[in-house]
Amino acid sequence: MDALAATLKIASSGLNAQSSRLRVVSQNLANTQSTGTTAGAEPYTRKLINFKSFLDRSVGVDVVKVDKVTRDDAPFRLVHEPGHPAADVDGYVKYPNVNVLVEMADMREANRTYEANLQVMKQANSMIATTLDLLRNT
Amino acid sequence: MGPVHLFELVSQRNEWLSVRQSVTAGNIANANTPGFKSKDVIPFEAVLNRAHLEQAMTQRGHLRAGMSGVVDTSAKAADGLVHHSGNSVSLEKEMLKLGEASRDHRLATSVLKSFHRMLLSTTRG
Repeated sequence: MDALAATLKIASSGLNAQSSRLRVVSQNLANTQSTGTTAGAEPYTRKLINFKSFLDRSVGVDVVKVDKVTRDDAPFRLVHEPGHPAADVDGYVKYPNVNVLVEMADMREANRTYEANLQVMKQANSMIATTLDLLRNT
Repeated sequence: MGPVHLFELVSQRNEWLSVRQSVTAGNIANANTPGFKSKDVIPFEAVLNRAHLEQAMTQRGHLRAGMSGVVDTSAKAADGLVHHSGNSVSLEKEMLKLGEASRDHRLATSVLKSFHRMLLSTTRG
């Protein structure tokens, strides 16, 4: 495969990985208040996305792919709300272990990396365009 | 005046630049992969000077020949920052390399174009 075509493929794998990351972030953000419904039930658990470098044999370079989405083992937030349906015998409700600030930072990072990959695509495209320009009658 | 191997030189240069671009793209795509070591290519001069045997590509699944062995995988942690996750990609540095390769490619192509125009004007008379 031509190196520039490979570049486009790698960049698209990067775009793909970062958009999956953004999907996980939005899932976490949407569920910041998702508690259980029965007494002492577990709330939503924060999800973590893992990336893996992977050698694509048809391209011969490292592309990136989503390895797996795992659960965050951090402890849940306990809030004293005796009237809540999910409250345990002591009146504590388990809230998800999602920190909005961390999610925001993660979102920004995903955004930056997405932009970087997009820039790679633009540059590779312009290189292909200049090469094709050679064919134009001058 | 000796012969000028300009066309060959330019196409070699552009091939090298394309390989560099794809290696940079790989680094940027893996900017958030834990344990990924940033890669680069060997300098163009070194590519020109080396004499090597090339591996034949007899099947689609074989790794790319041509500019094979150009990728320099030696980890350069000394001049860059290594993240806690073991990732040594610096996004700024990669973007810089990206722009540089693109600019050099445009330069080489323009040189080729003007040389081609000169050649054409000689043949047309």
